[in-house]
Amino acid sequence: MPVDLKTRAAQAVDIAQQAGAEDAWSSVSQSRDVQFEYRDGKLEKVKDTTSQSLGIRIYADGRYSSHSTTDLNPDRLPDFIADAVAITAALEPDEYRRITPEALFRDRPADELDLVDTSVQALEREQRIAWCRALDERAHQHEQVISATSGIYDGTRRSAAASSNGFLDEQQSTYCWFGASVTLRDQGDKRAEDGFYAGGAHVEDLPNPEDVGAKALARTVSRLGSEKGPTVKAPMVVDARAAASLVSRLLGPANARSVQQDRSFWAPLIGEQVFSKRLTIVDDPLIARGLASRRYDGEGISARALPLVEAGIVRNIYVDTYYGRKGDMAPTTGSPSNRVVKPGDHSLADLLSQVDEGVYVTSWLGGNADGTTGDFSLGLRGHMIENGNIGRPVGEMNVTGNLRDLFSRLELIGDDPYPYSSTLTPSLVFSDVDFSGA
Amino acid sequence: MKRREFLGGAAASGAVLTMPAFLSGCGIQQARAVADKTPENPFMDWFGVDQATAARVMSELSANGADAADLYFQHSRTNYLTLEDGIVSSANSTIQQGVGLRVVIGEQTGYAFTEDLTLPAMLAAAKTAAAIAAGSPIVAPQAFNALEVGDLYKTTVPWSDVGIDQKLPLMKFVESQARSMEEAVEKVAVYWADQDERVMIATLDGRLVTDHRPMTRVTVTVTARRGEEVQSGFANIAARQEFGWYTEERLRTMVREAVDRTMVLFDARRPPAGEMPVILASGASGILLHEAIGHGMEADFNRKGTSIYTDMIGKKVAEPFVTVVDQATIPRERGALNYDDEGNEAGRTVLVEDGILKSYLHDTISAQQYGLQPTGSGRRESYKYAPMPRMSCTFMEAGPHTRDEIIAAVDRGIICETYTNGQVQIGAGDFTFYVKNGWLVENGKVTAPIKDVNIIGNGPESLRRITMVADDARLDTGGWTCGKNGQSVPVSQGIPTVLVSKMTVGGENAG
Repeated sequence: MPVDLKTRAAQAVDIAQQAGAEDAWSSVSQSRDVQFEYRDGKLEKVKDTTSQSLGIRIYADGRYSSHSTTDLNPDRLPDFIADAVAITAALEPDEYRRITPEALFRDRPADELDLVDTSVQALEREQRIAWCRALDERAHQHEQVISATSGIYDGTRRSAAASSNGFLDEQQSTYCWFGASVTLRDQGDKRAEDGFYAGGAHVEDLPNPEDVGAKALARTVSRLGSEKGPTVKAPMVVDARAAASLVSRLLGPANARSVQQDRSFWAPLIGEQVFSKRLTIVDDPLIARGLASRRYDGEGISARALPLVEAGIVRNIYVDTYYGRKGDMAPTTGSPSNRVVKPGDHSLADLLSQVDEGVYVTSWLGGNADGTTGDFSLGLRGHMIENGNIGRPVGEMNVTGNLRDLFSRLELIGDDPYPYSSTLTPSLVFSDVDFSGA
Repeated sequence: MKRREFLGGAAASGAVLTMPAFLSGCGIQQARAVADKTPENPFMDWFGVDQATAARVMSELSANGADAADLYFQHSRTNYLTLEDGIVSSANSTIQQGVGLRVVIGEQTGYAFTEDLTLPAMLAAAKTAAAIAAGSPIVAPQAFNALEVGDLYKTTVPWSDVGIDQKLPLMKFVESQARSMEEAVEKVAVYWADQDERVMIATLDGRLVTDHRPMTRVTVTVTARRGEEVQSGFANIAARQEFGWYTEERLRTMVREAVDRTMVLFDARRPPAGEMPVILASGASGILLHEAIGHGMEADFNRKGTSIYTDMIGKKVAEPFVTVVDQATIPRERGALNYDDEGNEAGRTVLVEDGILKSYLHDTISAQQYGLQPTGSGRRESYKYAPMPRMSCTFMEAGPHTRDEIIAAVDRGIICETYTNGQVQIGAGDFTFYVKNGWLVENGKVTAPIKDVNIIGNGPESLRRITMVADDARLDTGGWTCGKNGQSVPVSQGIPTVLVSKMTVGGENAG
């Protein structure tokens, strides 16, 4: 695409300053996204789009506002930005609202993180359809299949940012995901359903589509005959995919905004040994080809590895510039990148055999957590662990407790981090968990 | 006509804030020259598109054949304000403008969109979307017939005419109310959102539908402290309303709810884990209907055979006093729509009538497959997405019992009052909702407060287990948003007090 995003962002900053802003930070993004969906032997949906938007943060007279638009028409943009500056004047002054200081972005890493694969950009319709067919065929290899939908999702994202205090840079990444969702006839009117999707920045890192289709089917077949499990206090083994979402819930309130607003159970934990000694979590934006890798964050802050939890001790939380200033915390970064839970050395089979009897969770259904207290309650699907092996499928159960408390009872960690999530978490084992079922 | 004029003449005072100048831009020059000659429709003018341009794009879109096709023009401006620590020091505004182009052949869909509303960009997108088809061109309409404009949320003062200077005092009022109601309140945050959305839909069968959809929501979050213990809670109200809807009384009621919900948490505990009778209090408990039956009745799942309700139409699914409706035509409701996002008239669909499963929620694709009329349920998040069957305002009608009778009938169970979220598995029918506040019910009496429990059940099973329905049906005023396949749309819900004889409640002290 011929448009120079950096120039556009820099022009927006100039316009804002001419309109009276003391400082401004602009970002321009552009994406191409292609989606092919194939169901039961037939192409069902093709979506092919190019999208763009411009955002601008205005700092004027001790006041702040932010604006974005998808209307990048050069005849209208100057008015849009001038209005943004005018709107800012109606707000109340706030000494903590200031542009990202240069010191926070000056030393950002220069090396690209191998996030662009030109073969994604060169994908042809025929290749996408061939992948769909392979997924679809494999996902149908069971006599109880009612329907299976396979999909390919790929694209390129570009963004540039410019600021009145000298920031000018751009980032680009590609992505390519595929997978299938499968529905099987089960008892009565019930259907078993599950799926599996794999993806990454580079096509060559993808598993082959037959294996992905087979895995989607196998996960669904394992749900057949699922029944409500028992009400019991027992050990819980969470598989790597489900563990990623549990760790995300744990980290949800680990940020300066929640802490400054008194809505985070993390507030009194910084520097304290509160979680199991087995738990170490690092936010690492610099992983080559990582799903959430970046050289700088949305505020321009230089990317660096950030230890969140080390051997159970809380080292850092996510701190953006505004809530950091307001809450007297040094900025780290306001938004998560790749969150890596340090793996252990147990295989999943080993974990299950050590637990002997308990519940093996493979996915969650709904539920929530109170960020202020850490109290949580989640619906789950999985299997009973019987004699150290994966036993009968169960569902329609809840697990209930407190996140801080739960992660203090993290007993074992697997060696199998789930690669298709930006939260890279292996299987986790917790003791004394409250399950409610029949 | 300029956009400023289209919005009406109320922009005289504080114009720079209330009527941002960018709104007075004249649309796309190339198309406008024609539009000026044929002033047809204020929405066409808004988007800078005339009949001939729309017809030209439609003809490109159907060049390889189509059973249905549509152009979905959308412009929305959303304004957000945040009050924290006593001041409003953050505003955000977001403009989304674009056109989505869709071709449907049987069950196949080709989709593209562009944010550039010039003819060449729209033609290019139309060509991309049309690539799904491989047939011969069909005759596209030369002109589109404008349907009557709906009046469910008629706008006299659009949000673009309301300045920050007007909203700010109301936010401060909410904050001061929260602080005056309860000493233990430590922090108050107020989040304001308002939106003007304009859509214009041109269809292959020659309809032109326009709709101006206002929306607003105010949320208050309260954090309170007792010694070392900190608790927080929130409440919000939302509707397709104008600024004048926010009376002091309405706001005070919302704040009262938020403060009460927060303070009760200090005494609230987890219920015992396991199966028990569950009473759902009137209003927000409509979340049960949304998850237990609503999604499963969306016809896209049923035409694919993937819903647990696929083979149940005409069958008895609940007691005769259970009637469940999805209705988009309730004026000013958050889920209200004059027309759906395919340009079909939105309406009232009875999902369950006197205990019998009656009708799915259809979009154009499913209606064609079932040989039925669409129910006006085709919705989309924005021009970036193809529509699919969705709920609007889902509720249960009043029943023969009273709330007191229902509570008296429970020996040991819970009553649920407020919720944060829910989810469902369409095929297995398992669904959940998360209860933020509720009470234990012991020996027919409401006793101690409970908090933070997930409830899980199976859709058809739970419908069968609705053994009592009270006469106190009421719609919730909260700002619910429904997510499906990555698309979010505003919805509303309601229910009378009901008793579900058995569900699985998350809790402590299991086994």
